Amino acid sequence: MTSLNLNQAGRRRGRWFAQVGWRHLVAVLAVLFSLFPIVFVVSAALNPLGTLSTTELVPTGGVSLDNVGGLFERTAFGRWFLNSLLIAGLAAFASVFLSALAAYAFSRMRFRGRRVGLLSLLLVQMFPQFLAIVAIYLIFGTITDLWPSIGFNTPWGLLLLYLGGALGVNTWLMKGFFDTLPRELDESATMDGASHAQVFFRIMLPLVAPILAVAGLLAFIGTINEFLMANVFLTSSDSKTLAVGMYGLLEGNERNNNFGIFAAGTLLTAIPTVLVFQFLQRYIVSGLTSGAVKG
Amino acid sequence: MSTPLSGPGSATQAPGREPAGSPPPRSRATRDHAPITLTGLAGKVLLLGLTAGVAVWAAFPLVAAEMWVGLALLVASTAGLFYLYLTRRHVPAKYLVPGTLFLIAFQVIPVLYTASTAFTNFGDGHRGSKDDAIVAIESSSVTQVPGSAEYALTIATTGDPATGALVFLVTDPGTGAVSVGDSDGLRRLDSADVTVATGGRVTAAAGYTVLNIGQASSRSKEITDLVVPTPGGALRSSGLSRAYEGKAVRAYDAACDCVRDAETGRTWTADDEAGAFVAADGERLAQGWKVNAGLTNFTRVLTDKNVSGPFLSTLIWNFAFAIGSTGGTFLLGMLIAVALHSARMRGTNLYRVLLVLPYAMPSFAMLLAWRDMFNADFGLINNLFGLDVDWFGQAWTARFAVILVQLWLGYPYMFLVATGALQAIPRELTEATSVDGASPWQSFRAVTLPLLLVALSPLLISSFAFNFNNFNAIYLTTDGAPFPADNPTNGATDLLITYTYRLAFGGQGAQLGFAAGISVFIFAIVAVVSAVGFRRTRKQEEVYA
Amino acid sequence: MRIRTAGVVALFALALAASGCGGDSDEPAAKDTPKAAGGKMVIWADDKRTAALKPFAEKFGQENGVTVEVQAVSKDLQTNFVTASQQGSGPDVVVGAHDWIGNLVQNGAIDPVQLAADQKSAFNATAVKAVTFNGQLYGVPYAQENLALIRNTELAPEAPKTIEDLVAKGKQLTASKKVTETLCLQVGQNGDAYHIYPLYSSAGGYLFGTGANGDYDPKDLGVGKPESIEAFKKIGALGEKGAGVLKRSIADTNSIATFTGKKCAYLVSGPWAVADVKKAGISYDISAIPGFAGGREAQPFVGVQAFYVAAKGTNKALAQEFVANYTTTPELAVALYNAEPRPPALTAALDQVKGADADLAKFQEAGRNGQVLPAIPAMAAIWDPFGKAEAAVIGGADPTSTITAAGKTISGQIK
Repeated sequence: MTSLNLNQAGRRRGRWFAQVGWRHLVAVLAVLFSLFPIVFVVSAALNPLGTLSTTELVPTGGVSLDNVGGLFERTAFGRWFLNSLLIAGLAAFASVFLSALAAYAFSRMRFRGRRVGLLSLLLVQMFPQFLAIVAIYLIFGTITDLWPSIGFNTPWGLLLLYLGGALGVNTWLMKGFFDTLPRELDESATMDGASHAQVFFRIMLPLVAPILAVAGLLAFIGTINEFLMANVFLTSSDSKTLAVGMYGLLEGNERNNNFGIFAAGTLLTAIPTVLVFQFLQRYIVSGLTSGAVKG
Repeated sequence: MSTPLSGPGSATQAPGREPAGSPPPRSRATRDHAPITLTGLAGKVLLLGLTAGVAVWAAFPLVAAEMWVGLALLVASTAGLFYLYLTRRHVPAKYLVPGTLFLIAFQVIPVLYTASTAFTNFGDGHRGSKDDAIVAIESSSVTQVPGSAEYALTIATTGDPATGALVFLVTDPGTGAVSVGDSDGLRRLDSADVTVATGGRVTAAAGYTVLNIGQASSRSKEITDLVVPTPGGALRSSGLSRAYEGKAVRAYDAACDCVRDAETGRTWTADDEAGAFVAADGERLAQGWKVNAGLTNFTRVLTDKNVSGPFLSTLIWNFAFAIGSTGGTFLLGMLIAVALHSARMRGTNLYRVLLVLPYAMPSFAMLLAWRDMFNADFGLINNLFGLDVDWFGQAWTARFAVILVQLWLGYPYMFLVATGALQAIPRELTEATSVDGASPWQSFRAVTLPLLLVALSPLLISSFAFNFNNFNAIYLTTDGAPFPADNPTNGATDLLITYTYRLAFGGQGAQLGFAAGISVFIFAIVAVVSAVGFRRTRKQEEVYA
Repeated sequence: MRIRTAGVVALFALALAASGCGGDSDEPAAKDTPKAAGGKMVIWADDKRTAALKPFAEKFGQENGVTVEVQAVSKDLQTNFVTASQQGSGPDVVVGAHDWIGNLVQNGAIDPVQLAADQKSAFNATAVKAVTFNGQLYGVPYAQENLALIRNTELAPEAPKTIEDLVAKGKQLTASKKVTETLCLQVGQNGDAYHIYPLYSSAGGYLFGTGANGDYDPKDLGVGKPESIEAFKKIGALGEKGAGVLKRSIADTNSIATFTGKKCAYLVSGPWAVADVKKAGISYDISAIPGFAGGREAQPFVGVQAFYVAAKGTNKALAQEFVANYTTTPELAVALYNAEPRPPALTAALDQVKGADADLAKFQEAGRNGQVLPAIPAMAAIWDPFGKAEAAVIGGADPTSTITAAGKTISGQIK
């Protein structure tokens, strides 16, 4: 009797594990893997001595928020933060839009040079950026002379530069998803008399909302972390972004001394990204598609 | 330069505005029969109007600067845009042009420009034109005439402070005598006509308007160009308050196309192939200029032992790294996405936020943190697991470490994308197979995985391409280490790009032309590989076509 | 259909007119701003110095009715300056280390600075020598720095006379478990030529020979010569397979922290380390880096931070005025010292602050026999291969073949 019960319970537990339990196990392991270096950074941020090697996984010298205070006191962190949010927000928005347009064309239309276009889109990203800096100076030197409001040291100029890369990876990403949507959907709409713009805005975009959200998030993160171009572009301290400003904390001999402050900054930088992610999660995780197919 | 379709301007129709949970769109689409709706029309007018506005705004500075080519380009591209969006033809172009304009202006042109430098000797010491080099040589040879005096200087003019001809009012420190100097030479001024402050600077002079620093500084170029000839050399300004008698020791002589040193009599003749002034004994002046180098940068890639020697082994590791990073992140990301993709799972939102954290942290910061965690004596990894591994000291452990770091940095990306992809797979499909009695694994293999691959294979290719050139992943962690003791230029974890960087920038000044040459090589290799990989996607792409 | 198209055109013409007018009214405003101010001068520096310099540069601007902007370039300041200068979008003044001079000159990026004899003599002679290149003065120095030996006086009360003394004392401390490391001298995975140089020079090695006029001669490369191999044999003996004093695991990120964490009694570092040491509450003293017994003196590199006038700046006259006549005043030097404690290059300024800061004199004394960091462009070819050879030897590689290979690589890179 009892053994039977136990057996049943065991089987139930086995079933639970097969269906849900293993998922938790994988998730917990993954979370551990994800968090372990971050805990290291957190402990450095809270450690008042805040240097790299005094840092252990758990802060030893007591916990303090000195580093966070120092961050705002000694640097224009708040300003960097706002600049980054502005630039990354706009760039993510615009680049998702631009690449969704292009992905729609690449996925749904057949025209000459389509595959070559796709491949070139990929290949143009392959050229080392550190070499292109000379050319960027050349282009934006002229722009700064002519239109200072979109030249060096302005967020708009940097935004333009980022939009140059908007088509790159995101188009590929989105084209893959457009490809998974059944063609019958837009074909029937077209037969009903919808224009290509209506098909795009009314049918395709809502259906790929999850991937728009993902692409937007990726573009946001990519922009907020972008350093090489922003460093060339933004020299006046009011116009800097987080990545540039934070790198400045680590320059030269400072690397040792500033690590605590730097770690605090690193953590704060992650906050907007997490918030954006939280906001976008409902688009990423929603049962949209099944509804559409049923209809 | 024309960028009339501004991103933010078009954002009025951006995707986020569409309510995500809108009812099945099909019914709505059937109702909206008219090919042109009011919103569509309004949007079109607004965007084209904005384009025109931006174009007009951009045109004024071009006209003012008399840059007619630029203006023509602007007009042509604006006209092109209008044609494109007013005609009913060229539908694909309507969707491709906005992004492509930016792409051409800020990616294609820089890349082409860079690639073109591969045919030159462009680099430190050879950046500008020959004229630039001559100016630099002459101006850096200006020395103070030995034994000459230092004068207190005042900038003045006979006319309007903003436009009048400039003169130097200089006070001889020995005698206190004041002279006025212009390009004709020095003339004494009557001491009764001038007021001299302590320190020797003239503060007022009859017939002259003295410029203050603010006024003078807005005419900087004229002041630095003003040279007052004297018997021993020439009076030049050093700033705005001192002048000295100096002489350019070296001067360019067009007759012999050479630079001559007036003191030693030595000459350096222009060598237009090397882009430098070279003396008879082979000594070069440091300031050179940019010349065409033909194919030498490319032949050097093939013939220089330092470059071509380790090329093959680096290439193999480069592929291994790119495949390992891409494949590893994909498998891990997909596994976790599949694990979390279940209606019965609780706490998925929390898991997701925690899992995305590695991606949310600035990657260069985390690369540096990882590097320290792998430190052999003080690193967290050895300490925590009680290991004694010299991670970056041995080829295989170092390679393992950099891929592990890439895995950590990159899997949240794949996880996110795979999550998005799983959401997009109609649940009916998976449900149908499980009704048929297929095990979860079978239904995953038969339905989910193929669909995931359709969605993700373009991404895998682009991710491979990105990792192939993932400069920071190596530069900020091992920087190529470990290096064989007898070869400090090519380490076990070097990618072609970090290797290129070291070759181009590690030596005596940056060799940008050479770096561009190697990049073109790498580019060609990746292009071929990607093209082959890309051909294979054709089949998958047509699943629904 | 036609009517609709006409409507589109009409509507859009309206929009064009509206936005066109908008563009018009924007135009004058945008054009006026740069003209309104007298002159404008832009200074580029790294982050730390930007912060220190800003108030003084702005004061200079206010006093003279000009606009002065100090901008920070966080990474690759030197290359970005050269590139931007070449394209005409660079600054008027740049602040940087004196060993940039060779490269800046070969790119025609900076102009010589003409200082009067009395201005020149106000500087410490080493600093003036450092910024002199091909017989011309290219920058105005403001701070000077070199490595020294910082020791924890509780653990090691006596300044060691030789490396051997230091090792003996350090070993004694590790044996008694007071510390875990003998010496904190940063090496790192890929070596650190700057920090190992004092030992290398003491053991008889050199980088470049000097020509008749006292300038470094890039043709006479010391790396790969027998002296350098002998020197690295001595360094290798201190390495991981030898005495275990020098270790690759001690790197730029952790060497100061290991010292402040009391895990080693000796630290080889510069003035920038002192703030941390003080903060950790360690009683310390500063002395010269000891050499090998029977060897030569250990010579640290002396580096100088300087102001340069950009050759292609838009406001060169003002830049010259600022660099030659404003940065040469002791007030500015003292103020810069207060913002960031590195020994001022102006003798008067050093004397003024020396009283309050005993460390300055000690650092200066430690650098008395130092060697000016070579500014010739060929020096750029040294750092990377030399450092890697150092790391390899410390890791236990054979000095002879390693250093010979490094010498070959370096000479291959020098034109």
